[in-house]
Amino acid sequence: MNAAPHETGSWRRIAGTLTLAVLLTELPWDGWALSLRPDFILVVVLFWVLHQPARVGFGIAFMLGLLADFQDGVVFGQHAIAYALGVYLVLFLRVRLLRFDPLRQAAQMFPILLAVQLAAMLAGWLAVEPPQGLAILLPVPSSVLLWYAIALFRRAWHGKSLRDAE
Amino acid sequence: MAMPGQLMFARRLGPTARLAIWFAIGVACVVLDVRYQAMEGLRSGLALLLEPVRVVLRAPTDVAVELNGFFTRHRLLQKERDELLAERTRLRLDAEAARDLARENASLRALLGLRERPGQRAIQAALVYQGHDWFAQRITLDRGIASGLGNGLPVVDDAGLVGQLTRVYAGSSEVTLVSSPEQLTPVYIERTGQRGLAAGTGHGRLELRYMPTQADVRVGDRLLTSGIDRVYPPALPVARVTRITRSQSGPYLRIECVPLAGLDRARAVLVLTAEPPSHPAAPPPAGKAPQ
Repeated sequence: MNAAPHETGSWRRIAGTLTLAVLLTELPWDGWALSLRPDFILVVVLFWVLHQPARVGFGIAFMLGLLADFQDGVVFGQHAIAYALGVYLVLFLRVRLLRFDPLRQAAQMFPILLAVQLAAMLAGWLAVEPPQGLAILLPVPSSVLLWYAIALFRRAWHGKSLRDAE
Repeated sequence: MAMPGQLMFARRLGPTARLAIWFAIGVACVVLDVRYQAMEGLRSGLALLLEPVRVVLRAPTDVAVELNGFFTRHRLLQKERDELLAERTRLRLDAEAARDLARENASLRALLGLRERPGQRAIQAALVYQGHDWFAQRITLDRGIASGLGNGLPVVDDAGLVGQLTRVYAGSSEVTLVSSPEQLTPVYIERTGQRGLAAGTGHGRLELRYMPTQADVRVGDRLLTSGIDRVYPPALPVARVTRITRSQSGPYLRIECVPLAGLDRARAVLVLTAEPPSHPAAPPPAGKAPQ
């Protein structure tokens, strides 16, 4: 069943959005924009885990987590573990998440994204040193907003027909 | 509950088991990286891969800065030029005096039989990327081993010490800022010459550690590198004292400082490398990161 190719998630589209997420992260952010920058990679990965769990799963999330670790210059494995946890939570709540409209779905994503960020914080804390304040939690609300925007976009893109078909 | 695409039964492990496996791999990564520094190869690979991307994505910002500069008002430019000319005159006088002192110093050192100080060579570098500063404060520069950089070299801007190279890749390098937590810099107080240890506290600040309560420190004192660690050359400005509090319990003062270098503003920095020694007798000025 899971091999049936959906129109929504061709490999090209998945790779394209993931590349876009990496490029957005690579932009020279600084100051407040950097603190509030949503975790583009995480949001895109979780989006595809939700809609294409057969194609995007733990492996891809883990590798992209290693990339996120490199970007922040932190210890390898910190974001990788956190992203794997995020994938697990989305798989766990998948059926529930798919039933909601974008706004409620984004609200449901908040605890998941928060848990991912807390896991990254905890991993870094245990591995190296305590983090600098709670600024690490600032990307959570912006990621939720990003999720909301993407979910809205998806609904507008596919129309209601696909939602009924699901 | 059999949703299309949901992974149940059959050949694949359940999500919980797979989470456990990836979690174990993640912990292995952390341990390999922290304990054995075994992941540096992966780091340099990623650096090599991402460096051109970063440079390309930096370009729009650079163009914007250029355009902004193009439209700067004429009068502003003139004013700036006048100030720069005045400063140049002043600096020329200072340089004359410094040259005189250097001559005098060289002859005194010769008289006392001291070794010559190693010379410095500066390599220009530009900031290309800045990551989140949740655990340590690091910036990425666009120069690496190819330009002759190495681990542990000091990085300065026009106002003072920015930090130290902690990871050097082929074409880029990572600087740990002086304000990064647990980054130690041996300093002395410019006014009194008393030596101490400045440690980063995060949030762009430093503290001067282990100063006894009767030590002569005042708000506004400048801290310069002492050079006793042989990593930093002596007398680079590091920080200015902003607040001193006497703690009731401990034997030491709590001294807060702000770094003099524009840690969050600097775009162009200089990396100082030691010049090759002029005579073979002098040992190479090896430096190890104090981290």
